Amino acid sequence: MLRVRGLSLRYPNGKLALADFELSIAAGEFVVVLGGNGSGKTTLLRCITRTLKPSIGEVWLGDINLCPLEGEKLRQARLAIAMISQHASLVGRASVLRNVATGALGRHFTMRTALGGLPACELEAAREYLSEVGLAELAEQRASTLSGGQAQRVAIARSLAQRPRVLLADEPVASLDPEAAEDIMRLLQRLARSERLAVLCVLHQVELAYSYADRVIGIREGRIAFDLPRGEVSRDVVRRLYVGEAA
Amino acid sequence: MKFGVAGRDVTASRGARAWGSALGNAVRCALALLALAVVVQALIVVEARPQDLLTGIHGMADFIRRAIPPDFSRLPATIWPLLQTVDIALFGTLVGVVMAVPLAVLAAANVTPSRYAYYGARAIIGFTRAVPDLVWALLFVTAVGLGPFPGGLALGVHSVGMLGRLFAETIEHMDMGPIHALELTGARRIQIFSHGIVPTILPSLLGISLYRLDENIRSSLVLGFVGAGGIGFQLLTAMNLFQYQEVSLLLIVIFAVVLTAERISAALRERLA
Repeated sequence: MLRVRGLSLRYPNGKLALADFELSIAAGEFVVVLGGNGSGKTTLLRCITRTLKPSIGEVWLGDINLCPLEGEKLRQARLAIAMISQHASLVGRASVLRNVATGALGRHFTMRTALGGLPACELEAAREYLSEVGLAELAEQRASTLSGGQAQRVAIARSLAQRPRVLLADEPVASLDPEAAEDIMRLLQRLARSERLAVLCVLHQVELAYSYADRVIGIREGRIAFDLPRGEVSRDVVRRLYVGEAA
Repeated sequence: MKFGVAGRDVTASRGARAWGSALGNAVRCALALLALAVVVQALIVVEARPQDLLTGIHGMADFIRRAIPPDFSRLPATIWPLLQTVDIALFGTLVGVVMAVPLAVLAAANVTPSRYAYYGARAIIGFTRAVPDLVWALLFVTAVGLGPFPGGLALGVHSVGMLGRLFAETIEHMDMGPIHALELTGARRIQIFSHGIVPTILPSLLGISLYRLDENIRSSLVLGFVGAGGIGFQLLTAMNLFQYQEVSLLLIVIFAVVLTAERISAALRERLA
């Protein structure tokens, strides 16, 4: 589903953020990326969404290479990639339902959606996505009234409304308490299976990776340190990932 | 040996601190003298003569004596100019809001589509703000003649500058998280504006617009002095005809209108917050 081939990114200041990165995720697979601060995890996600343009390399989504695309073609290709981040980034004054339905805006461009309206079919679909994440009863509530865990669930429902094939998650549980973090991880794991989503999740919580990931990738200084099935990831391998940073 | 070196360091450090302290005091004294000089030159330039207030107080007392009691029989005649004054402000604020919103989007560094649009919008906002509403009124009076219309246009154009700047600052300070999230869903620029930016900043925009309406009501009173209609024009006429009792009535009416507008505006802004 998602393949990254020989991806490298060098920032204008000369720093090599990603070097010859290789990655492949199948539909329904839940992959967790671990690595220290500044190791290149978020840069990898931003290259995949093409909010950063890689220096060299390819990002294949099915049979489309995103790297050479620009403008409308890039926007169309991006529709298949949803992203959630540490903060849910909801429109606080809008209802939960509207926030979810805005995830589908990229596929509807009419006078109505341009002027702030939403298609009735997407509002209906948004209710289903809210049920999917267990928040159907909060549909009419203002997004600003939600707890951190609820807001993150709404952000996930919004990404489902986009009907993506790939879901990228950049530290989605970083600002949540342990119980809410487990809930979100369980939800992402379930969605990977039920919606056949390729999920790539950046985490700092090693224990969550051990509990939920199908595969764990370790990044160090922009390069893959290991790429192993969950059962083969030893504590020692993970510890070595962070040793340089601690020193 | 070590003690000696350390001792010299301590002495040198104390000396440096003493010099630093003396220099700091000198700078503070210089700043205080500079501030005093600024105040003194202002008093000289405005030819301030407080004693004239005392010697000329009988003139003011005579004016007040002739203005009392207010001529309440003229109250019905104030209703139409009063409505004109409020409507000039309303028209000016509406024109200002309608024109300021798109300009503010172009003039906000975080959402502007291009650098040229940014500088162009900033230039328009800066120019319309820099020219006082009174000057705009004089210009529009020469263009469309006397009456409330030039007053409304003047307030509208001046409001574009005032509102444009405040709207742009509001947009620049908003939380960009929801906007970036919408961008990543593949939403188009206009959709991001209507679904992300507008709902986020709408309460602030309405609050600022209400405050501007309140300001414009006060400004529209003054615009009457240059022929832009409303109760200001009636006040000027009464002054020129030495109808001081009518002047006092008009001042009471103006006070009531300004106070009412201010209270309504404040109450609405509080509800929006």
